Amino acid sequence: MEVNVARWLPRSAANGPGERFVLWTQGCALACPGCWNPDTWSFAPRERMTMDAIDALVAETSGIEGVTFTGGEPFAQAAPLAELARRVRRRGLSVFVFTGHTLDEIRSPAGRALLAEVDVLVSGRFVQERRSVQLAWRGSHNQEVHFLTERYGLADMPSGEHVELHLWPDGRVVVTGFPEEPEALSSDSRA
Amino acid sequence: MSAYVTLLTPMTDRECLLHALADVGFGEGKVEVHQEAVGLTGYEGLERAQRAHVVIRKQHVGGSSNDLGFLGTPTGHLLIVSDYDRRTYGQPWMQRLEARYVHHARIKEERAAEEERRRIAEEKRKLVQAQKQAIVERAKKLGYQVQEKREGDKVRLVLLRRVY
Repeated sequence: MEVNVARWLPRSAANGPGERFVLWTQGCALACPGCWNPDTWSFAPRERMTMDAIDALVAETSGIEGVTFTGGEPFAQAAPLAELARRVRRRGLSVFVFTGHTLDEIRSPAGRALLAEVDVLVSGRFVQERRSVQLAWRGSHNQEVHFLTERYGLADMPSGEHVELHLWPDGRVVVTGFPEEPEALSSDSRA
Repeated sequence: MSAYVTLLTPMTDRECLLHALADVGFGEGKVEVHQEAVGLTGYEGLERAQRAHVVIRKQHVGGSSNDLGFLGTPTGHLLIVSDYDRRTYGQPWMQRLEARYVHHARIKEERAAEEERRRIAEEKRKLVQAQKQAIVERAKKLGYQVQEKREGDKVRLVLLRRVY
C-alpha cells in the first residue's frame, strides 16, 4: 500500500507531544478557508511513498516519541495510514492525528480502523473566524483534542505559542507549528 | 643543419605540461619557463628561428641534441623538436607525455571541482547563518523565546511564546 505524501519532517516538537516524525498527507476535500497548507488539497499524486519506505524512515529516526499524521486530510487515506499506525505502535511509538473531520463524521470502516490506532486526535474544521495560535495543537477554537488512549492527557498539552523553523543547508526554510505571523518570521514555505 | 618539426599537442595548461615533463624526466632545473617566447638553440650553438615559452636546453636533452621547446598557443602547446631529436622525442615520447598530461589535467579538474563545491557549500552555510540570524532577531522582536538545535547540516529553531 502507498500513501500520497505532501512532505515529511523526521523530527518536530511542534506537532503533538514530544519529538515526533511528522507526515503531511496529500489530498483534502474540506478546503477550509484560511488553511495554512492549501497546496495539500489536490488529490493528484505528489510523492507516493510505500508503507515500507515510511516505516523505514520512522525506524531510522532515533529518540522520537511518536508519529504525527497531518495534511492534507489523513482520513482521506485512512486504510494505508491505519496499517502504518499499527506498525508505528508496534515500535512502541505513539500516534497523533490532525483531522478536519469531527469525530462523529469518521464512520467508514477504514476511518474507524485508523481511529483504533490513534492516541491523540485533534478534530474539526479550521474556522478562520475562530482562529487562535494560543491553543495547544489547534488552529481554531472549535477544534477538539481527544485523548483516545491513556498514553497522554491534559498535562501533556503545551501552553503558549509553539513554532518551529527548520533551516536546511540548501537555504530552504520551513515553518511548522502554530505561528501568529509565519511571514513575519520567514518569507519561505509553511508546513 | 637538421630540420625542426613542430607537432601540435592539445596540452593547453602549462602547469599540467610542466608536471607531465617532470614525470618523463624533465623536472625542475631542467625546464625554463618564459612569459615571452625565447629563441631555441641548435646543437652547434646557433640560435634557430623557432621560439618557445617552455624550453629544455640541449644539455639536458642529449649529447648532440638541440633545444626542445613548447610554444604556447590558444589551442595548445606546439612541440618544437629537431629532426635529429625526433628519434627520441617523436610520437611515442609525445604519447607518454600526453598520457601524463591527461593524468595531471584530471587531477587539476577534480581539485577545481572540489574547490568549487567547497565554495558553494561555504556560500550556502553563510546564507543559512544570515537567515538564522535574521529569523532570531525577528522572533525576539515578536516576543518569542528562541532555542537552537542542530541536526546534522540542518538547524532547527524552536520558538516559544508564553500566554499569560
